[in-house]
Parts: sequence; structure tokens; C-alpha cells
Amino acid sequence: MNELLVVAVLAAPLAGGLAAWGRRGRSAELVATGALGVAAVAALALGGLAFADGRLRAFGGLVVVDALGAALLVLTTIVAALAMAASPRYVRHEVASGAFRARDEGRYYALLLWFVASLLAVPLFDNLGLLWVAIEATTIVSAMLVGITRSPEAIEAAWKYLILGTVGVGFALLGTLLAYASSVRVLGESSDALNWTRLVSIAPSLDPNLLRLAFIFTLAGYGTKVGLVPFHTWLPDAHSQAPSPVSALLSGVSLVGALYALVRFHLVAVGGLGPAFSSTLLVVFGLLSLAVALPFMVRQEDLKRLLAYSSIEHMGLVTLGIGFGGPLALLGVILHIGLHALIKTSLFLSAGELVQQYGSRRLSRIRGTLVRAPVAGGTLGVGLILLGGLPPSGIFVTEFAIIVGGVVRGYALAAAAAASLLALAFIALAFHGTRLLWGRPVSGDVAVRTGRGMALRLAVPLLVVAILGLWTPGPLATALDAVRSVLGGSGG
Amino acid sequence: MSIDLVTAARLLDACSAGIVVMGVLIAATRSIGRAIWLLAVQGALLAVAALAIGLATGTTHIVVGGLATMATKAIAVPLILGRVLRQSPVRVERHPFLGPRASLVVAIVIVFAAAAAVDGAAFGGRLDAPNALPTAVAEVLTGLLIAMTRRKGLSIVVGLLVFENGIALTAFSLTYGMPLTIELGIAFDLLLAVVVVWVYARRMLTVLGSLSTDHLRNLRG
Repeated sequence: MNELLVVAVLAAPLAGGLAAWGRRGRSAELVATGALGVAAVAALALGGLAFADGRLRAFGGLVVVDALGAALLVLTTIVAALAMAASPRYVRHEVASGAFRARDEGRYYALLLWFVASLLAVPLFDNLGLLWVAIEATTIVSAMLVGITRSPEAIEAAWKYLILGTVGVGFALLGTLLAYASSVRVLGESSDALNWTRLVSIAPSLDPNLLRLAFIFTLAGYGTKVGLVPFHTWLPDAHSQAPSPVSALLSGVSLVGALYALVRFHLVAVGGLGPAFSSTLLVVFGLLSLAVALPFMVRQEDLKRLLAYSSIEHMGLVTLGIGFGGPLALLGVILHIGLHALIKTSLFLSAGELVQQYGSRRLSRIRGTLVRAPVAGGTLGVGLILLGGLPPSGIFVTEFAIIVGGVVRGYALAAAAAASLLALAFIALAFHGTRLLWGRPVSGDVAVRTGRGMALRLAVPLLVVAILGLWTPGPLATALDAVRSVLGGSGG
Repeated sequence: MSIDLVTAARLLDACSAGIVVMGVLIAATRSIGRAIWLLAVQGALLAVAALAIGLATGTTHIVVGGLATMATKAIAVPLILGRVLRQSPVRVERHPFLGPRASLVVAIVIVFAAAAAVDGAAFGGRLDAPNALPTAVAEVLTGLLIAMTRRKGLSIVVGLLVFENGIALTAFSLTYGMPLTIELGIAFDLLLAVVVVWVYARRMLTVLGSLSTDHLRNLRG
């Protein structure tokens, strides 16, 4: 049963992609939706089973999904479904405006499905080497999506993403190798010497020097894919040039997948070296990302780049929270990742609407949206405010939990710095948001109509975020707590 | 066919020396075509080292890994890069950020620094091949040097592949490579990455009219 589900999760989007490649219009949309539907059902079932059992195994231990992996599976599925639902409208507009050539339609759906397959593969494997293979695959496939329009800017963004992503992930491979070298000495050449389940259990007997080096290399490597400063320079380009539904996947889950990989190494490092070493590094890089993203958000002129820098900011905050550790901050981190993904998805899709209708990404051009494009403008404005953390946004609760959690764990200074940076980021978002909503429209703009279906898709994630700020349903709380105990390691 | 462990270790050592020389030569050449040839030789040396270790220890997965290395790094990847080069109007790295002579000096410094800094025995290398780990570290750094100081897209990719070869050699010198599934997964990813680079190189040629990364200066801030 488990085996069947795993095969469905990976094979459905892979096969669907092959089938969609040469198709156009309605037929490509149907194939893609069907394939994604099968994968989504299977992934949700896998996630559910993993949550129910605590740890799900398949294929003789090749596949192991614990609560943390299950959470990533479910999150990826939700964002992928939202991105898929928004794709037909987006793609039709791109074809009509000439940005996509006719055959790019099928290619877009094929690549989107393969991207989703690679993202879903990330939390499945027990083996850190296969985890690396999955992460590298996400880079390669999504680089094709970033440059699909072939505009000079898109090609530049894709090229940078490909080169920096490959170097970064190369360092992660080096780190994986060092971890393997340290474990081979304890376990011998056994096939499970790179399995995180094994590594965590034998962590205290691993060579500390190798382990320290391994963590530094994986931090730089996967940190590049997470978008941690100073390895982030590809991120604003790639996230702003990608088709908007792809931007949602990149910001919402692709970054989180890399963070998941980093966390697996962090847990091994904590087990082998004690919490101080890797936690301190995570706190430093998290805080640095928060601080560097801020000025770029304040003086940003490009709507999608604004959202991209905000992703760097939020990944920094989440990394910081993982560095803090402790039940409160970790609980905040887990919920924060989910909420950020929901808001960012809605924001990138709203931004996509606006950018297509206004024919520009410039914030100085997209103004007075409440009059010109009330639906997409409204959801974008509300999303920005929720993202900033104004109550009742769930983001307020999670940010509060991370900050207080940091203080509790004795990181008062870092927590205070993070709180001030978050407050400034809120002001920046509010500033851009108000100009966007109420600013005087540039003359000559036409009114834009966004259909009811699309409006629903944009608004529902935001509504969920607002509700979760006020009330957490029982089952969700149980699930969050299960993930928290994984993230906290043996001591959490 | 079988080799004893000592011969295999010596072969690994000899191949490492060859790999270092290739790395230095790649750093010192302006001709992109020659760099691709040297890269192919470097890949072949890496594959020979892997095959020797695999045959000596009787480990199938290293033999398969060595064959995969030969197929991708010595043959497929250089062929793809050569194809891109033939379509490109520019065959020479004309104005790199660091000229060939300076690169040569830096590359040699890297080799000596790596040899001084990395003591293979301290990491408990599995084979008695003292050259291997310092070489691996030197290639990782040389690859980065090439990728960072060149302007042409193809030269940058050559640098990345030298970097990759350094990582692969690390795998052979620290452990007997990685388990087979992972070796194959890595080889597949590498091939895929080069194919995607190929696609983008063609797009850069058709849209921007050149493979020079000087045209990639639009996205800022």
C-alpha cells in the first residue's frame, strides 16, 4: 500500500509531464490537472499515514517519511494544487500576448509537473545522497521554467540560477560526502551509512571534525537554495522572472525543501556536536538574511522582486527560529513556514494577474489598484498586510512565538534585533501596499476584471491565514506538535 | 581482470597528479576548445582511477560508477560542450577578469596550498594514495577560480565541471565512492544540468547574439 502511494506520487507527475509535452490548450491543461490530481491524492494519503504512524517506511527503508517529511509533503501538495489551478488562466494570457510561443504551452505544463515531482521527492528518501539528487533535480527543472519566455532578462535569471544553484548544491554534495566518510568509519560500507535515521542514532560516535566540516559545507550549499544571505543573489532574479505560478512554488515550497535538507544535517550535527555549533551558525545566517533583505524591500521598484526579497526575509526568520530551538520557537517556525507559503502563493498569483493586466512589474506603474483591479489589487494589498504580521494574521502569532522562544532560550539580543527588523519590514510592506491600493493611477490604464473562480483562489489562502491567527483546530495542533518533536531532536 | 590494492592506490595517485596538471592547464588557457579537451582528459583520468579502485576491491558499484564517469565526464559532456562551441562565434576567452598568466600563477599557488593544508592521513583516507585528497581540494578551488574569473558562459561551465571533478575525487579518496544508487543519481543530475546549460547557451546565442555574460547585467537590486 505504502509502496503504491510512493510510486503514484512520483510516477503520476513524471508520466503526466511526458504526456503533456506536445499538447496544446485544453488538452494540455486536462492532462496536467489529472496527473497532478493523482499525485496530490497519493501525497496527502502518504502524509496522513505518516502522521498517523509517526514514521512511514516503504521499499525496505529506502523511503522513510516522519512527521517533518509528511508536513513538507502536504505543504508541497497544497501549493502545487494552487499553482496548477492558476496556471490555465496565466498561460492563456501569456500565449495571447505573445510571451509564450504556442508549443511552450505543453512544455510549461510538462516542466511544472516535473518540478512538482522533484519537490515531492525531497521529503521521501531516507538517504541523504538521494535527498541531494532530488534537490539538484528541483534546480535543473525549475531553471527551465524560469527562462521559458526567452526574454533577455529571463535568460539572465535562469543562467544565474543554474550556475549559482549548481555551485551551491555542489558544496552540499561535498558536505554529504564528508558525513558519509564520518559514518563509514562507524558503520562500514553498509548501504544505510547515509540514511538520516541511522546517522542521527549513531551521531555521538561520529568524528566531530568531519561532522563540523560537513555541516559548514551543507549550510553553504543548501543555504544557497534556501536563499540565505550571502548566497541569495540568484533568488530575486529567478523568483521575479519565473511565470507567476512557478514563482509561488519557488518561494512557497522550493526554499522550504532545501531548508528541510539543511535541518536533517542540523539534527545530525546537534546529536554529534551538541546544540551549540550548528545552532549558532543558523542564528547568525538567519539574522544576516533578515537584515540584508530589509533595505532591498524598502527601496524596491519591482513588485515581484519585492515579494522575492520578502521570501529571503522570511527564510531568514525561520532559520533563526530553528537556531533558537526550544518548543515555542520551533512550533512558531513550523506554522510560519506553512502560513508564509500560503500567503506567498496568493501574493504571487495576485501579482501575476496585475503584472499581466498592467503590462509592467514596476511598482510606480501599478497604482490605484482598488479602482482599476479591485479583486487582484485587494487580495495583493490584504496579503501584504497579512505577510507583515498585522493581527489577526497567523504570521503575527508565529513571529511572536519565534521571538519569545528566542528570548526564553537566552538569545535575547538576537531576538530583539529580529523583532526590530520585522517591524521595519512591516512598515516597508505597508508603504508599498498603500501606494499600490490607493495611489493615483497612471492614466491610460484599463479596468481589469478578475473572474469569480480566480478571486476565490486568491482569497481563500489569505482567509485561512487569518483564521489560523485566531484559532488552531485540534488535529492541526496535534500534527504541528508531532513535527515539533522531530525538529527538536531527541532533546526537544 | 583484477588489480591488487597497492597498484590501485598507486594508479589513483598517478591519476591525481594528472588531474592536477589538467586543472592548471585549463586555468591557463584562453582557448575554450582546448579547455574542453583538457576537461575530457581530466574526466577520463578520474574514470580510470575509479575503475582501478573498483577492480582492486572487487566492488561492483565503483566499477559501474567509473564506467558512468567515463561515459558522462569523458565523452558525453565534452561532446555537448564542443557542439555549443561550434555554434558560437566566440571561441576564445578574450578578456577574462584574470588573465591566463595570472590564472596560471594562482592555480599553482592553489595546488601547493592544498598540498600543504590537507593531510590525507588526518582524514583517514581509505587508500594509501597521499596525492588524492589534496588534489581533490585543489580541483574544487581551481574550478571555482575558473568559474569566477571568466566571462564566457562556456568557460564558466568548464570551471563548474572541474569543481565537480574535485568533488568526485574527494569521494574516491575519502571513501570508496558513494553507494551505487547515489553515484548514478549524481551522474544523471550532472548530465541533465549540462543539457539544460546547452539549451540556455543556445538561447543566449539566438536572443543575445553571444555567449558572453557581459550581456547579463539587466537584473539588479
